[in-house]
Amino acid sequence: MEIKYTIQGLLIYATIIAYLCAFVITLLHRRKIGHILYVFGFIIAVFSFGYRWYHVRHVPLQNLFEVFLCLGMIYPVSLFCRRFLRVGGYSADMLIGAIVLFPAGLVFNAEPQQLPPALQSWLFTPHVAVYMLSYIFMAKATFQAISQLAGKSPGANENLLGPEQATYRIICIGFPPLTLGLILGSYWGKKAWGDYWGWDPKELWGLASWLVYVGYFHFRYMFGKKHPRINSFWAIAGMAVIIITLLWVNLSRLFPGLHSYAT
Amino acid sequence: MWVGLALIVFLLFLSIYGAFIGAARAQSFINRLPVVVYWITFLLLLIVALAVFRRLVRVPGLLLIHLGCVFILAGAMWSSETGHKLQKKLFGIDKITTGQMRIHEGHSDNRVILEDNKQIKELPFSVELKDFQIKYYKPAYLYIQTRDGQGWKIPVETDTEFPLGPEFGTVKILRAFENFKITIEDGSRKIIDDPQPGSNPALEVQITSPQGQVTTKYVFERFGGHARPEDKFALSYRRVISDYISRLRITKDNKVVAEKDIEVNHPLSFGGYHFYQHSYDAEASQYTVLMVVSNTGLAVVYAGYWMLCIGVIWHLWLRRIVTKIKLKNK
Repeated sequence: MEIKYTIQGLLIYATIIAYLCAFVITLLHRRKIGHILYVFGFIIAVFSFGYRWYHVRHVPLQNLFEVFLCLGMIYPVSLFCRRFLRVGGYSADMLIGAIVLFPAGLVFNAEPQQLPPALQSWLFTPHVAVYMLSYIFMAKATFQAISQLAGKSPGANENLLGPEQATYRIICIGFPPLTLGLILGSYWGKKAWGDYWGWDPKELWGLASWLVYVGYFHFRYMFGKKHPRINSFWAIAGMAVIIITLLWVNLSRLFPGLHSYAT
Repeated sequence: MWVGLALIVFLLFLSIYGAFIGAARAQSFINRLPVVVYWITFLLLLIVALAVFRRLVRVPGLLLIHLGCVFILAGAMWSSETGHKLQKKLFGIDKITTGQMRIHEGHSDNRVILEDNKQIKELPFSVELKDFQIKYYKPAYLYIQTRDGQGWKIPVETDTEFPLGPEFGTVKILRAFENFKITIEDGSRKIIDDPQPGSNPALEVQITSPQGQVTTKYVFERFGGHARPEDKFALSYRRVISDYISRLRITKDNKVVAEKDIEVNHPLSFGGYHFYQHSYDAEASQYTVLMVVSNTGLAVVYAGYWMLCIGVIWHLWLRRIVTKIKLKNK
């Protein structure tokens, strides 16, 4: 653990504090103030991401620090899920935002790095960005799946979907960017390394996370109504594999490979 | 559908197992006979599913997704080593699947060392390396590390003095060498930046101690971080590569048929092959190593990618939006 005594660090801590305050205040039924704090935290998160962008002079999605900084801008996803999908978990999103910023603020090294030749491609930003977008949706889906297993459901006056249906809706939104991320990565691999599939550990874990959601869709279609709780286990397993893909593969020496520069 | 789910779960476990054994072993593992049987079964099952389940054909998104998977699997099989052998047997097409070429500056070659490193095959055209360049990010940096872990990162700017505090004095970079060499002229030692081919990047650094004692040191990029017991700190010189560029010219029957400066992410396509910047001469930047890959089956795989992407986006996103708009209009 390392506290960052820099402007970047301060911006991250300010965002975490704003998100945590928003979460606690929302739990205390002061929703309006909670919402204002959440939006305020989001504005700082955007500023923090922009500051990093200006500082490193390329889209800051190169390493784990920058990726988690990006994941901290969760507010538009919460808003989209609530407004268009009728999915709850608004307060949980505040907590997710704080949790993802925690490693950026206290664990990962923020030393700016120059882009190696392989990353100097137009595919760099879309490939990582669609994955990040998908991961935020899948994190939200996991929260809904856990809610279903815990037997929680939204209040009757909230006009929100039940957790199982909500999990499905969010996975439906998160799965296309996950697919796009995998395919853009494969296309980029062909351009950069000469092969569209290199059997690299990161690629294989990426494929594994995609397959868990493919399994989820097939299982839900076949037995979803009979065993709704098992659907949720699939969604949670998907998130577990995503966490391994995002973190373990880059941090563990067990998986050396072409994606090591992301550490 | 049970079988389909079972095959998906099996592929999931195969992927996880492959991730644990590393890329090279995973690649050989997936080419083993039992796994090849699995791939063929998977492909056949997808085709059977498209024939049996009418929903898969009636719903455009599902059709594209499953057809996309068929194309990707079929394309991958067709472009594999076994696929190439099969093409040779059936159609007499003898193509190199993948290999490497090492070409020196100003020379041309058509020999490709195959992946197994035992065989050499010839291309029906020659590849000439006009020039090879390595570009570095600017500025490069001199790194200073004390014994108690204190560190500085100093940009390489000649004749600028950098203070390191009252305990360590100052540091000044006097010269930056691309190809450091020591020559003997008239019996005395002379340090030069040799313009002849070769690469030995180094810095001449002047260290002034707090007591005013001046010493000169040479810091080499390739042999950095050395410190004598009496030194207060270790110096290292690092440059970050921004690009590798091979200027290539392809000739066939003594005619220039293609020219391109290839870089990472910018390969050259010619004659059914892709040429990639793979490696280089780290000692003197005198040759480049190109990776030669056959493009057989690639169009089929890419067609599968398009189908899968369009299918997923249509089925999970657009179809719902279109239905909502239609309902609203009604």
